[in-house]
Amino acid sequence: MNEEKLIKRDRMRFIKNKSSANLAYLAILLNVFYFVSVYQSDVETYYYKILIGASIIYNLIFMLAAFLSSEGVKNYQKSYSYLEALIGVVQFVRIFILPVPYHNIIIGDSGARVMENGQFMFCIVCLIASGVCLILSAVINFIKCNELEAHIKSLEAQKA
Amino acid sequence: MATLNLQHIDKIYDNNVQAVFDFNLDVKDGELIVLVGPSGCGKSTTLRMVAGLEDISNGKLMLDGRDITQTPAKDRDMAMVFQSYALYHHMTIYENMAFSLTLRKENPNVIHKKVLAAAEILNLTTQLNKKPGQLSGGQQQRVAMGRSIVRNPKVFLFDEPLSNLDAKLRSSTRREILLLHKRLQATMLYVTHDQTEALTLADRIVCMSMGHVQQVGTPLELYDTPANVFVASFIGLPPMNFYDVKVSGNELLGNGFKLTLTPEEKATLAGYEGKDITLGVRPENIVEGGDFKVTVSNNENLGMNTLVYGSIDGIGVKVTAKLKGWKNYKVGDTASFSFVRKHFFDKETTNAIRGGK
Repeated sequence: MNEEKLIKRDRMRFIKNKSSANLAYLAILLNVFYFVSVYQSDVETYYYKILIGASIIYNLIFMLAAFLSSEGVKNYQKSYSYLEALIGVVQFVRIFILPVPYHNIIIGDSGARVMENGQFMFCIVCLIASGVCLILSAVINFIKCNELEAHIKSLEAQKA
Repeated sequence: MATLNLQHIDKIYDNNVQAVFDFNLDVKDGELIVLVGPSGCGKSTTLRMVAGLEDISNGKLMLDGRDITQTPAKDRDMAMVFQSYALYHHMTIYENMAFSLTLRKENPNVIHKKVLAAAEILNLTTQLNKKPGQLSGGQQQRVAMGRSIVRNPKVFLFDEPLSNLDAKLRSSTRREILLLHKRLQATMLYVTHDQTEALTLADRIVCMSMGHVQQVGTPLELYDTPANVFVASFIGLPPMNFYDVKVSGNELLGNGFKLTLTPEEKATLAGYEGKDITLGVRPENIVEGGDFKVTVSNNENLGMNTLVYGSIDGIGVKVTAKLKGWKNYKVGDTASFSFVRKHFFDKETTNAIRGGK
């Protein structure tokens, strides 16, 4: 390994994993855009009220988990990569829980949809981008953690 | 590193208060100069003028022969270490030390090398991931020094860096600064009101009072041949004893005591026959047995030495003596003392009387 790469790796001992943490923050922000948009749909049926209630609770859980993960990956904790990957995949699944059904339902005879095309596109873009950010953050952290572990082991071996 | 020349520097504030009067100093390359004096004497103001944090009212400041009087602080290539450390508490030690270089957009790998090298010098390698709040005062001050070292400045400026530390930590950090100076061979300006710091650290000391330079010299020169009463009283602990005396032939006539002059002392005081002068005697230049009797008012044992406070019998003139060894004088005891080394000062000018004057 050349010296530049070695120093870059050594810097990880003292510099936080900002790229992973920032991607996690971005995922939270995109999720905020999503839920602010999705709650504009207001259909007076019991089914949607229950679903939206559950969605609100999940959003709170998501933000908490994503924020905890951002702090974890910032400090090169590998376990938070798994959590990030999990909530990242769930973001893709969420597309089929609210936006797709909303988009498919037509209100009465008017032909209008619960969620119009523009809003639907915005919601799925936000969810996909949020999921991609989280998975990317998890992958970067995973790779960096492995590099750092190997580097620390080599330093310890040198000392010994 | 660098040479620094301060030429006829004055500092006059907007309200016409003058803090520094005609300050002249040539700092050689790699020299550690200590500005010492009581609070309000203008030493910190002088340092801040050198740093560029205060405007220079009159005079010139030259760095390596280049006039930097009007140069902004950021372009002077000087690093300052403050009494209050001025660390960023939300950053780690590594980030604190790297901060100034990060602002300059230096290559991160170069920054890394410099920070590790500085941490190695200051023995901070194991602390780099900690926050300032997790370190002791001495360690925080070392971080502040490290932040200066990574910049590799031409001149280091220290503004009472040890004042926030307790006595033990102050002593160890002082030794570290001295080692740092020896290792870096850097030009340093150091401000303190603590004479111990001045005497132990300095290549040369600038002693100041009321904005005026009183004496510039090596620690030994200031201790051994003080230029005037102020320097004599400021340097040395406990301070020098002063007595009003009259020169009369081979004798000095004091209030209640009489001292015989040696031929050398008589030669020194040749022009002062019949005149009043100030006699100065350091407490450590007083020994037991001899010329005059003292009524002891206090006896402080310091282990290796004993400080004996008293007054000359009958007249109340105070005497402080620093005697070798453990003594057990009681309040009211009578001790006889003599002076082994005397300093003479002109009563009017307060300047030291040297031979032939």
